[in-house]
Parts: sequence; C-alpha cells; structure tokens
Amino acid sequence: MFRGAPHRRITVRRVLLYLALVTCAAVMLFPFLWTVITSITPEGTLANGPTLLVKDPTLNAYRTLFATLPMWRIVINSFAIAMASVALQLITGSMAGYAFARLSFRGRSVVFGAYLATLMVPLQVLVVPLFIEMKLLSLQDTYFSLLAPSMASALGVFLLKQAIEAVPRELDEAAVIDGASHLRIFTKVIVPLIKPSLATVTILAFMASWNSFLWPLVVIRSPELMTLPLGLSALHGEYTTAWDVVMAGSVVSIVPIAVVFVLAQRHIVAGLAHTGIK
Amino acid sequence: MTPTPASFAAARGSDTNNVITVSAQRDSGQGDRHSRQEDTRLHSHGARRMRPGRRGSGWRNAGWVLVFLLPSAVPLLLFTVIPMLASIWVSLTKWNLISAPTFVAFNNYRRLLTDPTTLDYFLHTGAYIVGYLPLVYIGGLSLAYVLDKKLVARSFFRAAVFLPVITSWVVVALVWQWLLNPAHGVVNTVLGALGLGQPGWWTDPNWAMPSIILASAWKDLGFVMIIMLAGLQSIPGDVQEAATVDGATGWQRFRRVTWPMLSPSTFFVVVISLINGLQVFDQVFVMTGGGPQGATQVVVGQIYNLTFRYGRAGDAAALSWILFVVILAITAGQLAGQRRWVTHA
Amino acid sequence: MKRTRTTLAVAAISGLSLLLGACAQGSASQSGTSSQSSPTGDTSSSSSQSSSESSGSSSESSPAASGSDAPADAVTGDVTYMEFSSNGGHEADLKKIVDAFESANPGIKVTVQTLPYADYFTKLQTAIAGGTAADAFELDYQHFVSYSASGALAPLSDVDPAPYKKSLIDAFNVGGKQFALPESFSDVVLFYNKDLFDKAGVAPPNADWTWADENAAAKKLTDKAKGVWGDYQPISYNEFYKVLAQNGGQFFNADKTAATFASPQGIAAAHQLIDRSGTVMPTAADGAGTPDFDTNLFKSGKLAMWHTGIWMFGALKDVPFNWDIAVEPGNTNKASAMFANSVAVSATSKNAAAAQKWLEFLTSSDAMVTARLASGWELPPISDATKLGAYLDQPKPANRKAVFDALDNAVLPPTIERQQEMQDAIDNALTGAAAGHTKIEDSLPAAEKTVTSLLGG
Repeated sequence: MFRGAPHRRITVRRVLLYLALVTCAAVMLFPFLWTVITSITPEGTLANGPTLLVKDPTLNAYRTLFATLPMWRIVINSFAIAMASVALQLITGSMAGYAFARLSFRGRSVVFGAYLATLMVPLQVLVVPLFIEMKLLSLQDTYFSLLAPSMASALGVFLLKQAIEAVPRELDEAAVIDGASHLRIFTKVIVPLIKPSLATVTILAFMASWNSFLWPLVVIRSPELMTLPLGLSALHGEYTTAWDVVMAGSVVSIVPIAVVFVLAQRHIVAGLAHTGIK
Repeated sequence: MTPTPASFAAARGSDTNNVITVSAQRDSGQGDRHSRQEDTRLHSHGARRMRPGRRGSGWRNAGWVLVFLLPSAVPLLLFTVIPMLASIWVSLTKWNLISAPTFVAFNNYRRLLTDPTTLDYFLHTGAYIVGYLPLVYIGGLSLAYVLDKKLVARSFFRAAVFLPVITSWVVVALVWQWLLNPAHGVVNTVLGALGLGQPGWWTDPNWAMPSIILASAWKDLGFVMIIMLAGLQSIPGDVQEAATVDGATGWQRFRRVTWPMLSPSTFFVVVISLINGLQVFDQVFVMTGGGPQGATQVVVGQIYNLTFRYGRAGDAAALSWILFVVILAITAGQLAGQRRWVTHA
Repeated sequence: MKRTRTTLAVAAISGLSLLLGACAQGSASQSGTSSQSSPTGDTSSSSSQSSSESSGSSSESSPAASGSDAPADAVTGDVTYMEFSSNGGHEADLKKIVDAFESANPGIKVTVQTLPYADYFTKLQTAIAGGTAADAFELDYQHFVSYSASGALAPLSDVDPAPYKKSLIDAFNVGGKQFALPESFSDVVLFYNKDLFDKAGVAPPNADWTWADENAAAKKLTDKAKGVWGDYQPISYNEFYKVLAQNGGQFFNADKTAATFASPQGIAAAHQLIDRSGTVMPTAADGAGTPDFDTNLFKSGKLAMWHTGIWMFGALKDVPFNWDIAVEPGNTNKASAMFANSVAVSATSKNAAAAQKWLEFLTSSDAMVTARLASGWELPPISDATKLGAYLDQPKPANRKAVFDALDNAVLPPTIERQQEMQDAIDNALTGAAAGHTKIEDSLPAAEKTVTSLLGG
C-alpha cells in the first residue's frame, strides 16, 4: 500500500499507531478490569474508585453470589432464552428478508414499512398491554412469555434484507435454471452467502435477550424462571449493597456474551474472505 | 440514607432492549468484488422482465410470500402490533394502572402538545443524537479503518474495542461517573493540568448531556467498528489498486472510492441509530436519572416516569405516539433520500 | 453442510426451549408449591419440580401438610405475599416468621415473593393492571394513599386495633375502613462519631441541641485537608418536610387545598438543608447522592454527624470507632421523620380471609417481634412497649432510647395521590439551589405552586 514510501516513515507512523491502539484498548478494557478487581477485593466497595493492586484477593464475592442466588439456574435460563431468541430471529428474519428482497408483491413497501414501524414504539409503553395480553392467554410466568416479544425482530429483518439484496440475482437465476424453487434458492444459495449478516444478527439478538430487564421483571413471578438481569438486580439491598458481589455478578454476566462475540465475529470477517465470486 | 428509591434506581439500568444504538451491516456484498457488478444487475433485471413470470406477481407468488413472511409476521403481529394498537386506546384514557381506566378522548394529547416541557424532552433527545451520532460513527469508522490493516494482535484490539459494548450500563455508568467526577476525576485532573476549564460534567445541567453522549459513544464504538469493518472488507481490492495507480493519495482514495462504497453501511447505521437514538433511555436513566433537575430528561425517560412513577399511563402512551410520528417522519424521509445518497455497487 | 448442521442444532435448541416453555408453567401460577423467594437460595429444593408439583388447586380445602388436626372451620388456603423490605439481608428473618405462622396455621401456605424496592412498584402496578397481583402485598406509607384511593386494596374486616400503636393503626385507616395494617416503622436519628468529637474537643449532641448547635459543631469538626466532613443530611423531599416541621412550618394548609411550604419558615428550613453543602457537607460532585456514599463515608470514620435511619444499625455493627445516636436537633420545634411500612390485602384476592390472617400474624405476633429485634430489622408496630425491651438492651448504639424519644415528635411524610411528582418537584428545587443553579427563594415558591396544582389530581 505504501509502495515507494521510505521505510523510515512507516516505522515512526506505525509506532505511533500502535501506541494509540494500545491506549485505546486500555481505555476500553478499563471498566471491565475495574469490575473484575472490585469483585475479588475483600468486601470491595466503590468508595475510593478503582485500585490496581488488591491486597488480599478473594473469591468470596463469587461464593456469596452463588450462595445467595440460584446462579446456575439463572444463567441457564438466560442462556436458553437467548439462544432460542437467536435461533428464531435468524430463521424468521432471513425468511422475511428474502421475501422483501427477492419476491415482488403488491404492497411490499407498505408491509416493510409496517415492519419498521414495530421498532418505533418504546418497550416501556408496550409492556403493560403485552402483559395483559399474556395474562388473557394464560401464558404469563412461562418461558414462552419470556421469548414471545423477541421471536421476530424488524431490525434483523431490515439487516438481512439489505444483505440479501446485495447477493447478485444471477446466482438465483442460475439456480432457477437448475429447477430450484424459492425454498431451495433460499437455503442453498442465499443463506450461505449472508453469513456475516447472520453473525451480526446473532450478536444483536443474543445481547438484547441477555440484557433484557423490564419485560422479564413484569412477566415472571416464579423464581425458577428468573433471568440474569433480574437476579443481579436483587443483589441491590434495601439499604446497602454488596458491591463486590454485584461486580461478581457483572463478570459472570459478561463472559457468555464475550464467548458468543468471539465465535460470531470470526464469521463476520472470515465469511467475507471466503466469498469469491464464482 | 433515607429510603428513597431514587438513589438505588439511579445506579442501575432498566431494560436494555434498546441499548444497541447502532446495529447494522449492509452485507459484505460478495458480489461487489466483481467489478462489473452493475452491469450484471442490470442484465439480470432485464432478463427477469423478459422472462415469463416464475417470480412475477400473481396468485402463484402469494403462496411464497406467505411462506416467507408468516414466521416473522405472526409473532410481530401477536406480540408487538397488538400491544401497539392497545396502547393507542390507552392513550385516550386516564389510567394509573391500579384501577380501571377512564376514557378522556384526546385530552392527553392536547395537554402534552401545549406543555412546554414536552418540547424540552424532544430537544434533549435531539441534543443527544446530534452529539452521539457523529462521534460514534467517526470513531467507529476510524477504528475500523485502522483495524482493517495488517497489524500485530489485531484480533485482540478488535475484541478489546468490543468489550464495552457487552458490558452492562450499570458498570459503564459507574466508570464514567468516576472518570468525569468534577472534583477528582481523571478527565478533570488532566484538563486542569493542561490549564483548561474543568466542567461540572454530570452535576452541571449544561454538561450532563455531553457526559451521557461521551459515555454512550465510547460504549458503542465497537459495534460501529464491526459494521464498518465488514463494509470496508467488501470493497474490492482491485478498485483500490486502480485508484493508487492513477496517483490518488490516501485521503483522495478514501473520499472518492472508499467512502461512496461504504454508503450503504453508513446509511444503515444512520437510519437505525436515529430510530434507536430517538428512544434513548437506559444510559440517561442510569447516569443521571434525567437530572440534574431534569436537564437531561429524554422522551422515553418521561414516558417511563409517567407510566411507572406518576401513574399516568394514558399520558405516557400519548407521548409515545407523538414520538412515533416523529420517528416515522424522519425514517420515511431517510428512506426516500436513499436513492440520492446511497451508491449501490 | 456445516450450515445445515448448525441450523439444525440451533433449531433443536430453540425447539427444546419452546417445549420447556410450553410445559413448565411457573410454579407461582399454580398456587400449591412451596417455593420461597429467590435470594434466600432455598430454591434449590423446589426449583426442579415446578411443573409436576402437588395439586395445583387453590381452593380452601387443600389438605393440611402436617397432620389434619386443624379445626373444621379454620381458615385455609394458599396465600401469595409480595414484599420488598426483606431484600438484601433479612430474607431469613421473614422466613422464620412465615414458618412460625404456618406451624400455627396448618391449613394455610404462604408463598413469599421478594423484590428490590427499586423494581417493586413497577412490578406491583403491572401485576394489578394484569390481574395477577399477589393476595397480600407490602406498601410503604407514601404509596398507601394512592393505592387505597384507587380501590386496589380490600378493606380488612374485624381488625382488633389493640396490639398496634395507635398512631400507626390510624395512619392506615381511611374513612373508618382499615385498608392496611402497619407492618413496621423506623425513624431517622442523628448518628455521630464519638471519637471524632472527643478528638476535636467538642461536646457530643444531646437532647437539647438546636440547628445552631449542630451547625457550630459541624464547622469545628470539618477538616477538609484530612477529608473529614462535619455533617451529612441528604438534600431531598424526605428531609425537607421534617426540617420544615422543625422550623414550625406547615406543608399544606388546613383543608389541604394548597401547599404552604414556601413560607418564610420553609425558606429558612431549606437554607438549613442546602447551605452546608460544600462547607461542612460534601457536594454532589464529591459523590453525595451516589449509592452508599454516606454509608461508606461514616464507616470509614470520615463523617462526624449523619442524619439517617435506624435501619443502619446493622451496617455499622463492626466499625472500629465509637458511635452513638441522638434525637435530631430541631429549631423552634422538635420533629423526627418516621417511616412506616404497611401490608394490605389485594381487592382481587380470592383468599382474603387467609391473607388477612397471615397479615395479622406478620404485624402483631411475638414470633415477629423476636425475629425483628434479634436482627435489627425495623421496629414492630406494636403498642406494648415492654416487648421492645430486648431492643433497648442491645449494646451499640448506647443511646437506643433516642429511637423512641424521637417518636414523641414524629412526622409522617405528607402524601397525596400524585406523590412522586410532588417529591420530584421538591427534590429538584432543593438540589438545584444547593448546586447554585437557582436561588431557593425562587425555586421553592415555584415548587409550591406546582404542588398546589398537583392537588387537583
């Protein structure tokens, strides 16, 4: 890229670049480090801000966390709901994206507009009518009710529609010549080519479900169905809060998403590298 | 501390379904690598028009449309659209949730539209967007550009930048309140050492929203980076090389080649950021609770207050529908302008 | 193909989750299980069997679990009880009370649901709106007014007021109907760090102190160089109505048609609250108002005087210095803030009789008194002061008598239906003036006008 540029200039620039990046990374990692450090500080408080050196690091906070809350159950609940939400959004979103990108039908833009419109009313207002609806269907306080609002997402649909639109139609045509139906085109041609966007939807949907608080608060009553944000909220006591335990909870909360991100982001970038045009 | 919920509530976030304020990616466009992509598309369009309707409109298509749309349409209808319609009805009532609602027709709308504080909530929301969007976009794009090059430990840097995205707002708010502490915070210490003024940050009505903007932009940088990275990697290398051969400098290359080819990603980021930004809630709730003295209260913050703290669910619903109209208008305008602003490869 | 396999796996997981959801009805919706509230960690015993648990019948004739020697006409049933005050440390105490009740009443099963206060009313309101409210729930005094006015509470029948403190049982009686029972009360006192007072050679607070004495002492005790502050009193509605009373002001006029707190006495009271900020009291910028700030400051020995509630006794058990309490100084009058929690039966409860029985036990039984006093979990609302002897005998703080002396001049928070809006208006007026963004002479009368308009409902 810098063909012909003097070698010396690259070195200085590169050094500065790395310095900037390291600073940037440090700034980005800082809050997470603070969280971890507070969680291993004995009776860690936020009183004096973060400290780098911990005198007697201890895992007490984690022990208390797992003793106070049924953490395994809570994490499994959150994880199951998030994975189900991801799976459903991937399937429903890519199919709808295909419909909007590839099928022409009367009123297509109106229907797409209606999809987008579902993003434009805040959850705080939808929560009460939705809860009443769940109660009328006798579905309140179930796993299904936790999943219901996130089974499909217009955001995912929009994203995947854009992705599918970018796939050249000649590939579809080629498949049609071979006698493929829409379903085959969708599964064999389209889906493999939109992996990066699917990975993005995965991260999006997982995070939204994992961090969701207001809806589970309203719709869940049984302790067996408790999800992570609800559990962590309960750690805030009436008069005092054990911050080391709260931070331990935050650490536990971050780890699964980090794993999902690391797994998914490889697809976003690698998927691109592998697409050559036939 | 006397037992008021405010002090506890201020330290925690609520629902974070809307916390992702940027989320898009125009797909890699595997086809974009083909430099004659445009021709191909036209060709296939033409081909399609000439070909008898395997995928034309008509009853045959209707079945497929249903097959592909129903899996998403049914849940959306049942669990989003129906509550939305119900909330229209709620907006015509006076309701404190714990007793039966009373019908009041358009009273709520009239009161909200004539109340000067309603405009304040929209102005605060607008201030948030105006500050947040350029910051997070330019920052994310720069990071993507840098982390697109071959660097040592590139994956580590990418992961590090993404870590704030997945950290909860409770923690991020605590960190930023500590960083921006007017008396002992790192930022003000540095500013003081440089001889610059030391703002009151989240304790000052004029600097509270900038505090929220800084924290939000910082948190979401990683996500914009990922999206723009995908967009960057989809730009065919041969087009870049051609420009270099023609003698274009780095900046010229960026402006003339890279930037236009990123426009679909950019467009997407802007559309979704606006839809989400207009409904910003979590960070405001956690960092300032709408304070100091209401200086940072945003529309959805007020909606939350009206529903759950003031017992005025009808007003809340009415306000959210006023917000809906605003979001719809802005989004429609953007989609209409898409043709002009976005260059599809 | 890898894609298909992944899709299949993902579909399998989601299918399983959906199946789980379809069968696993939460246990709370089948009133028949014995799961306790989550933070106690007791759920491990009951968490696995939620769907296949015992007869989910919620009728009155559920067979007694521990022998059927309950008299034929005894009240039976399953009662769900939602509360917040045990969250974060007292769940075990509540469980003791529940266990005692259930052994005394074999036909009634109580299921407790505990939530943190910050989330509690969001949940309660939506539950009532959706018709899934618990049979009985807790309400703090400030919320009681709007809930009783909205018809969400069932009037309790044949309540014997004798066991309760008269002022408390009357507080929850509206128009001759008893809508809730007082559950506990606490008050606010002046905590002080004895060692700091001794070191500075200042006489510690006593019952005769006034604002002037407190302010003078605070000045002498503040040492900014060492990071020691003289005083801390939150600048909020919850302090304001009390200092207003301490200065002889009235919050509302006689027939409660207008707010009158911006009188000269009110302005002076507000000054007492806000003028110390920055001189002898940390400001918001120093961290005031952030969670646990004042607690940590006092615990680290950096705060000489602290206005807070008696619920803090537990948190201060192990601090390394000497501390004690005193009744808060007044100005022209003495006034202390009292907070009371209540418990009520839901208007839509199908087990009102059983619920009421539980509430009566919760609010007046000896088991409850023992549990509360042993762990310092607020005070029982009972009229028999002798039973509270155990409370007075505990060592730290030495001057526990002050807790009850303060009740001689107790002030309950003024409450209206649009309570939260009123509190927000006054909080903003006070904090804005404390930070110097407005003058209290302007912001307080403006708040008064706002509150008067809120009275219209």
